[in-house]
Amino acid sequence: MEHIKTLETRDLCKSAENGGCGECQTSCQSACKTSCGIANQQCENSEE
Amino acid sequence: MIHQYRMGGLNIVLDTCSGSIHLVDDETYELISLFEAVPRGEAVAQIAEQFSLPAQEVEEIYDALLSLKEAGKLFTPDRFAPMAGTLKAKTGGVVKALCLHVAHSCNLNCSYCFASQGKYHGERALMSFEVGKQSLEFLIAHSGSRKNLEVDFFGGEPLMNFGVVKELVAYARRREQETGKRFRFTLTTNGMLIDDEVIDFANREMHNVVLSLDGRKDVHDRFRVDYAGKGSWERIVPKFQKLVAARGNKSYYMRGTFTHQNPDFLKDIQTMLDLGFTELSMEPVVCAPGDPMALTEADLPIVLQQYEDLAALMLQRRREGRPFTFYHYMIDLKGGPCIYKRISGCGSGTEYLAVTPWGDLYPCHQFVGEERFRLGDIWNGVTNTAVQSEFAACNVYARPECADCWAKLYCAGGCAANAYHFSGKIQGIYPYGCELFKKRMECAIYLEAAKAVEGK
Repeated sequence: MEHIKTLETRDLCKSAENGGCGECQTSCQSACKTSCGIANQQCENSEE
Repeated sequence: MIHQYRMGGLNIVLDTCSGSIHLVDDETYELISLFEAVPRGEAVAQIAEQFSLPAQEVEEIYDALLSLKEAGKLFTPDRFAPMAGTLKAKTGGVVKALCLHVAHSCNLNCSYCFASQGKYHGERALMSFEVGKQSLEFLIAHSGSRKNLEVDFFGGEPLMNFGVVKELVAYARRREQETGKRFRFTLTTNGMLIDDEVIDFANREMHNVVLSLDGRKDVHDRFRVDYAGKGSWERIVPKFQKLVAARGNKSYYMRGTFTHQNPDFLKDIQTMLDLGFTELSMEPVVCAPGDPMALTEADLPIVLQQYEDLAALMLQRRREGRPFTFYHYMIDLKGGPCIYKRISGCGSGTEYLAVTPWGDLYPCHQFVGEERFRLGDIWNGVTNTAVQSEFAACNVYARPECADCWAKLYCAGGCAANAYHFSGKIQGIYPYGCELFKKRMECAIYLEAAKAVEGK
């Protein structure tokens, strides 16, 4: 294989510029209710 | 900060602060581990010798790593800490989600219930339509410019108050027209009262339904019993199957709890699959340390291995064209949350509040019944601003234990309730939960990496 394969990911540093609209789902409101995390949330920012 | 791990034959490197993920070969993997620890010449010589490679080739890999670093994709410094408070304050004063405790009562008597059979250590009660309606008005009034509002019908068992649930949804739909807001409802149910009317209603109105099933019949029936002590598995499974079959493409989750009695929870996931369910969640039990159901240190390696085996099963089924979803392995690397969300977490006590049948407000469902955390009520709003301030100040950078954790921007510091129950502080951590979380993230990212490698 090639030495390095970089996956396509959202750049968190850049997201600081336009992030924070707050439209995304609250983390504990779907299936967890006891073991919260935020990784599986979707961004719902319509401005980006 | 980076994190390196191997899983399923892949060498995975995460760059915490940029969110970048790299798949590398063995020599690059080892070179990265030396990159910041020893001088260049020493690192190159060591890798060249270890892998019998020409030094020139290792130099080229080193240059590639330097380029990634310069591009902000590797060893990215953490510049978020000073911004953390500001980012969380960006949505201060806005409420966008309520957990409506429409029934502090339950038709099951599960001994492991964190809500003490739905009573939350208080009296049995059903929420009236008036209280529910005022809760929705409170949410609309405090939601600012937020369009998407979330309401979870929770309990206890919310279908014990189904009439009020229906009335509240009808009321909310009218208010959507008048306000331009959009309500997304979730129903969390044990299934006992599901009938054709509930199925029709839930599949029409509920954005998501969460169905409680612990998996294997003997596992489920050990705790999920009625007041006569009779297991509920045989009564609820056909109802769940009927509801899910009628649900089409709308979201649902089969949600189970695993305890010290079944750390081998993959067997319960397999049972759910055998029953035809594909959207699954299994959660570690929440209970006091020392409780016979509490997961122990001896359970930890078993549970961690179960998570890896689960990832392998998911990969296998995906290759066979029979995929399924595990809630904690859902991760959208390209369209996931921005840094604001990753720092500030679930929003309990600020964006997200729980409402009791009497209209009292709490930071979330897990704090209901703990008087110190009562924030106010739906008529007067939040009056206990001291406690709310504690929650507003809760972010991953407020937790010293998280400072050196590679998973901090996937977890945002974790669950305030778990932290409180373990450490006595909402800004503490729950280390056992951290171990489980980190393993789940490794597995989730591994599955995405495997997808990229396999070109799917």
